[in-house]
Amino acid sequence: MTDLADGFLYTFGAYPLFLITLGTVLGITVGAIPGLTGAMLIALTLPFTFYMPPVEGICLLVSMYVGAISGGLITATLLRMPGTPASVMTTFDGYPMARSGRPGRALGLGITASFVGGLISWVFLATLSQPLSDFAVRFGPFEYFTLVLMALVLIASVTQGSMIKGLLSGFLGMLVAMPGVDPSAGDLRLTFGYHELDAGLNLLPVLIGVFAVGQVISDIVGIEERAEAVTMDRRGIFLSVRDWMRHGLNMVRSSLIGTWVGILPGVGANIGSIIAYSGAKTFSKHPERFGTGSEEGIIASESANNATVGGALIPLIAMGIPGSVIDAILLGALLIHSIQPGPLLFVNNPEVVYTMIATALVANVIMFAVMLGAVGQVARLRSVPRAFLMPIILVFCVIGSYALGNRMFDVWVMLFFGVVGYFLERSRVPLGPFVIGLVLAPIAEESLRSGLMLSAGSYAPLVTRPISAVFLALSVVLLVWPIWRHYRQHRGARRGSH
Amino acid sequence: MRMLSTLGLALGALLLAAQGPAVADFPEKPIKIVVPFGAGGNTDGLARMFQKAIQDENLLGAPLVIVNVPGAGGSIGARRVKDSEADGYTLLLMHIALLSGEAAGLMDFGYRDFEPVAATADSCLVTAVMEDAPWAGLPELLADAKARPDAIIHGANLGAVNHMAGLMVEGASPGSKFRFVQIGGGAANFKALKGGHTQVAHITLAEYSSFRAGGVKALAYLTGERHPDVPDLPTAKELGYDLDFCLQNWWFAPKGTPRDRIDRIAAVLEKAMQSDYVKQIMRERMNAPTFLGPDALAAKLTKDYAMIAPIAQKAKQK
Repeated sequence: MTDLADGFLYTFGAYPLFLITLGTVLGITVGAIPGLTGAMLIALTLPFTFYMPPVEGICLLVSMYVGAISGGLITATLLRMPGTPASVMTTFDGYPMARSGRPGRALGLGITASFVGGLISWVFLATLSQPLSDFAVRFGPFEYFTLVLMALVLIASVTQGSMIKGLLSGFLGMLVAMPGVDPSAGDLRLTFGYHELDAGLNLLPVLIGVFAVGQVISDIVGIEERAEAVTMDRRGIFLSVRDWMRHGLNMVRSSLIGTWVGILPGVGANIGSIIAYSGAKTFSKHPERFGTGSEEGIIASESANNATVGGALIPLIAMGIPGSVIDAILLGALLIHSIQPGPLLFVNNPEVVYTMIATALVANVIMFAVMLGAVGQVARLRSVPRAFLMPIILVFCVIGSYALGNRMFDVWVMLFFGVVGYFLERSRVPLGPFVIGLVLAPIAEESLRSGLMLSAGSYAPLVTRPISAVFLALSVVLLVWPIWRHYRQHRGARRGSH
Repeated sequence: MRMLSTLGLALGALLLAAQGPAVADFPEKPIKIVVPFGAGGNTDGLARMFQKAIQDENLLGAPLVIVNVPGAGGSIGARRVKDSEADGYTLLLMHIALLSGEAAGLMDFGYRDFEPVAATADSCLVTAVMEDAPWAGLPELLADAKARPDAIIHGANLGAVNHMAGLMVEGASPGSKFRFVQIGGGAANFKALKGGHTQVAHITLAEYSSFRAGGVKALAYLTGERHPDVPDLPTAKELGYDLDFCLQNWWFAPKGTPRDRIDRIAAVLEKAMQSDYVKQIMRERMNAPTFLGPDALAAKLTKDYAMIAPIAQKAKQK
């Protein structure tokens, strides 16, 4: 513990504190801009950190990580464009709330939830990283599959309106994830001999396309209709005691989900927020409000995605296994500084570990202060005429998609899916299931196929492995519950009309 | 990462301006290194190490700019370089995946479509199990794999180098057969071993040294000479298997790049290898400081292709 105190003492130094503030603010900015992601910012910053002492580099990079995942909620809430893929779920309730004249409240909820999510996962990072990562290795392919299956089943509960359209949308998302390298055989599939497709359709350009570019198109098409009066209500930015009482449970549950999803390598922040959001809807007293500006929805999505940051750092420091794409880059940064991550990191380079842990907390506090302080200014983004805003956003989307793999192909993918997103929206096909299908299908496929290789083709481990069996049972419950509730409501409604 | 290149360009312009007229004709502008894998990986780390060493010691007179073009096992980035102008300003940094990808039919081009520039660093794989595994050494493991074919689970990234190493090892003892399962790279395999999901994997020596404290045991070092940092680890050849599975980092230029430019880059790389910084990092990553020039690399590629082609085809059949 004295080591951790040293870590904090170090981060409170003027220069480290400056680096953390800089990193957090840059992270928030990049996170808020659709198309640009934290991973890009960190990869760009990497060369500069070669010339810094390792602990300073860590301060900068970790605070960027924290900032980027938080910034995404700004554009998700105000413009219905997720700044980062992890904020997709925030658009569903943040935007309707902002549109109904309460952008300050929507942002305040998102920011507070982000802070709490970061805080809760940090506690686990600082105290339980070793036992948690020991437990996480017990998650094999079957456990991953049933976990993801559970989230996939939640398509049913996230769908609003027509169930058929929801399933169609989920199916479409899965289909988009299929082309490219077969994840468990290494062969090419569904590329039709077109080599640009060999790496498949990247998640980022598809998501930016459907959400940001699709929104730009629908704004262009309907630009005259959009003489929307901008009302700005600053009330409700800070949560009252009643708010805390009402949302506390949801916040803790979503943060725990996010932390755990973060710990599992290769699952990712967007999945954390999908599961937490669907979970919040399933357990909510007012599931019908989800998608129309539900406070619970914003809180679930944002506390979970921030919680994945602390979670993902856990296997990185405890075992040298990167929990996310950004962690893989952090790991690369350590190697350049000739620091060997792995079980010995705590022994060989305690200063690096404890700086990392301390930075995660300090950056979270700075994020909270900076974002709350800026809510008033940021919310004015909604009063900027869209005709000025859209071209700028489109430019960033193009830059971001290109920068992902330095390929023009990704830009075309993004524009194409912009058109797809626009038409889905016009046909009232919900976008939530599309995202869920797109994000989860590849993990579900790879883990199930790996599992079947392990078991020589037997499906039995799905029920004989305890963790997997629990997830499977939960999946069934989550599948049946919303349908049953839907059915009861309908019957109730019919009875009422008689 | 586009901004990175822009930044590099600006930096390069500054450096050039600072140097004045004493610059040789080549390079006149930054040289783009295409890393066909993501930022933060092994190959990316190596590229960035050279970038720093060359910049710090001012060996080239122009900076290196690293462009990550990941995807499809490296073939997207490799294709980009193949189709680039052959002027020496675009290079590819890749490894044996270029050979195996061609042999397995995943790429419709191969090493013959490039000019070899240099090989830098060399790191051989180890056969890894957990400390509590029942096998005392590689012979016991292979005997068990023969007695119970398709029962011992070998984690790998199917079609990639750690899969081929496994195939090569089981091939060294006819009749032995592992059950290969898709797991992923070094860190993922460590996790799978530790969680008891798999029993064997092939990882790099550097990975072994970082995971050793987590309970990983190495059975053999897949080459002829013991490594000075792990003197107790027997080599495959000592154990009687004619196995050599090492990863070199290869630098390529597009076909038709002028020879003098290739020689210049190779000379710079060789010089960078001798810098203290590169030496130190190589030592830490447990890479041997091997260096091969254009001709030596060309010969090695032909030899390695003949070795890897049958295994790559076998990996594909699986």
